[in-house]
Amino acid sequence: MIDLLPHLINGLTLGLLFALIALGFTLIVGVMEVINLAHGSLFALGAYFALTVIAGSWFSSTPFGAWWLSLPLGLRYVLALAIGPALAGLAGMLLELCLRPTYGKLPLYGLLLTFGAALVVEELIRLVWGTGEQNLALPQAINGAFLLNGMIFSTYRFFASGFSIVAIAAVWLFLERTSAGAVIKAGAHDSEMVRALGYDLARLRLLVFGFGAALAGLAGVVMVPIWGLRPHVGVDIVIPAFLIIVIGGVGSFWGAVIAALLVGLAIGITGAYAAAWSTMSMYLLLIAILGFRSRGLLGRKSALEN
Amino acid sequence: MISLSDIPIRPRAWITPPMLVLAVLLLAAPNLLPAIGLYQYLGIEITIWITFALGFNLLFGYAGLHSFGHGAYLGIGAYAFGLFQHHVAVSLWGGLLAAVLAAGVAGALVGAFLSHRRGIYYALLTIGFGQIFWFLAMKLHSVTGGEDGLLGIPRPPLTLGPWQVALTDNRALFYFAAVLLMVVVVLCWRLANSPFGRVLQAIRQNETRARFVGYEVWRFKWAVFTLSAVIAGLAGSLLAMAQQSAYPDVMSLHQSGLVVMMVLVGGGLVSFWGPVLGVIFYFVARDVLGGLTETWLLWYGLIFMAMVMLRPEGLAGMLYGLLRRSPPRRPGSVSAAATEAA
Amino acid sequence: MALFEVRNIHKRFGSRVVLENISLSFEAGQVSGIMGPNGAGKSTCFHVLTGQHRPDRGEVVFDGQRISGLPPQRIARMGVSRSFQLMNLFDDTVVIENVMLALPAFRTRRLHAMSAVFSDSVLIDQALAVLDQVGLAARAWDAAASLSYGDRRALEIAVALAAEPRILFLDEPTSGLGAEATRRFALLVKRLRERYTIVMIEHDMRFLFELADRISVIHWGQVIAEGTPAQLGDNKWVRRSTLAEATHA
Repeated sequence: MIDLLPHLINGLTLGLLFALIALGFTLIVGVMEVINLAHGSLFALGAYFALTVIAGSWFSSTPFGAWWLSLPLGLRYVLALAIGPALAGLAGMLLELCLRPTYGKLPLYGLLLTFGAALVVEELIRLVWGTGEQNLALPQAINGAFLLNGMIFSTYRFFASGFSIVAIAAVWLFLERTSAGAVIKAGAHDSEMVRALGYDLARLRLLVFGFGAALAGLAGVVMVPIWGLRPHVGVDIVIPAFLIIVIGGVGSFWGAVIAALLVGLAIGITGAYAAAWSTMSMYLLLIAILGFRSRGLLGRKSALEN
Repeated sequence: MISLSDIPIRPRAWITPPMLVLAVLLLAAPNLLPAIGLYQYLGIEITIWITFALGFNLLFGYAGLHSFGHGAYLGIGAYAFGLFQHHVAVSLWGGLLAAVLAAGVAGALVGAFLSHRRGIYYALLTIGFGQIFWFLAMKLHSVTGGEDGLLGIPRPPLTLGPWQVALTDNRALFYFAAVLLMVVVVLCWRLANSPFGRVLQAIRQNETRARFVGYEVWRFKWAVFTLSAVIAGLAGSLLAMAQQSAYPDVMSLHQSGLVVMMVLVGGGLVSFWGPVLGVIFYFVARDVLGGLTETWLLWYGLIFMAMVMLRPEGLAGMLYGLLRRSPPRRPGSVSAAATEAA
Repeated sequence: MALFEVRNIHKRFGSRVVLENISLSFEAGQVSGIMGPNGAGKSTCFHVLTGQHRPDRGEVVFDGQRISGLPPQRIARMGVSRSFQLMNLFDDTVVIENVMLALPAFRTRRLHAMSAVFSDSVLIDQALAVLDQVGLAARAWDAAASLSYGDRRALEIAVALAAEPRILFLDEPTSGLGAEATRRFALLVKRLRERYTIVMIEHDMRFLFELADRISVIHWGQVIAEGTPAQLGDNKWVRRSTLAEATHA
């Protein structure tokens, strides 16, 4: 049983990070009834922008670059944690603008557009950052390992888990305790009503997309030291995110979090027994759950059912 | 916007002018391709993907069921063909049958599960199943060769009674694939224009009403899914012969998504011939643009996005708009041109 | 026994009881009405009767056969047809195809690929005959999406008629229609009643009182009153509620 512990922790860490991605995803879906297949791409962009901030690869040969790289890694990392998601958020808003011609038409078009966007972003990443696997340099403080009870634990995973918990709590606070958050939540329930109350729906959508994208980008920065950083990582992550939303139900905060933890744990545990098959356990979980409750665990009926 | 559901003015014949045009093009291709600086193998690729895309569009365009995991059945067909050659017998018809059966059974099983769902849940499940098949192909090393693929698939000769034709030459294989394609074209055309096809479209337009006027909607959805998988399996067997190998990559989300893009760009949502245009456009883009820049897929993706935003009726729809004024409706109308939303 | 009987239907969604011990019966050849305020459970009742929902308790019997629990397409094929309040048409295609799809003769064709459906004069004539009943024959080849609201309402009924039903359920058929269109619709119903047994949910009290032979009033998920229009005019519940205004108009 004790052998399972590292895998459980891995699974939990993964689950918490998945929760961040899934939250951004479900907010977008909730307020807009659009399935954002490019969500994984925003995740990837967050990570790649962070890479540039930390490693300064674009401008390393300039004087500015030299100064930049002389800054302590810890500082650069913190900046990356802020800048990466911010830029991802901007990309998200750009995507929302592209989606506008598809509003009012069949949901299929939005789906197709985001699918195309995912492809385009992946190709762009290849073009700008190269096709190989990259590494995000981590400050000493959160890197390495430590001993506890005779077992070795990865420091970074603890950091990632803790950070995710804080981030999830922050999102919850934002949605529940701020007026902006209230509008977003209301919009997720009934965007027509929000408009009737005088809010600019177009601006709301833009902001929600930006916010959701930033969350994905944040998850990207934190997750890639574990998950790996390569151009395909966007597509790799959108499927779990997607699965989580469907399992947990579209539009549900806690559904997303709980489902994310479930999926993360499933991957972690199967990683203990049959590592090669752990990612496939997600799909089996999806099929099993959709087989019993076609709206996921906590989902509500939405226009997505056509 | 015109749609697949536009009413045909004249009774739909078995063979139509666009079919003849396609047949002529196929016939001329082996000479045409080199003349415009392309190569023989491309013709085979295009033929295979048109076959795949036509079957796929019955599901995607006509029935409105959005499958993002259909590459799996193409792959299953390819593997089944190859495994048959390796483990049972080197036989063309045996291999084709194995491919079609394997893909058909897989499609029937998945379709049975899927067909009760709708909308985004349907789409997501298709991705899920597609990924599972892809995983199996990657992991079952002893059977499929895993990432390295199933290699050394022969091209068995075509035997019809006393006649035997070798298919080892690309040109010969192309003609064989072209004949199969024309058979699939005629079959799909008849289906699309039969009551079965009209009901599929009714289900797309309003599944609830289709149910309330008495149709067993589940059965139709299941049938069209299985059929599209069968056709994909056939295309897959040709692919195995063409490449002389089978790889997991066709089952990936990436490739499954490619056929979706091809079909939309071509105009599969509004026209029977959309997939044909879409496939040709994709491969020409790949080879012509690809010759100019490494990032041609980026440009194709941008074109795709632009089409979705601005011209979802695709190439076929745009062509139709250029060539006609408005789609006439009354039967016996003088503007004979109208048969063709195709 | 009546043609269509509803016995002690009980239906809840989650914790909300929407229909409580509903019993109704519809005689062949009659026009029956169901009325009641919004949220009373009328539409849910229709959904249960036509198979969209399965009742938690009770049963629905059509012509002696139990139909509750059967899927809607089976019930439809048995001769129970319905129209929808929020219209459900096939909007990508033409008016006549909307009707043709519902014709039993078409439904049995399936794969019959040899027949070019749209040049089959037998089918076309049948469809045109149905359209003629609702006055849309002249617009048979127009796009369904291009019709006016009133014409779409008529098409909505036509599709239900095309299935050659023995009982016809109309869900708020005059919804959104102006006075003139409603009047024409009333004439339509009078013509139809000669051939079909009709059950209507309606908000328009005058319309219902003019056409129906029997009316059931549903409120709070229960049948609170039942009878001929004349009887209902005297009913205390009907008097008491805001319905009273309209009935004495």
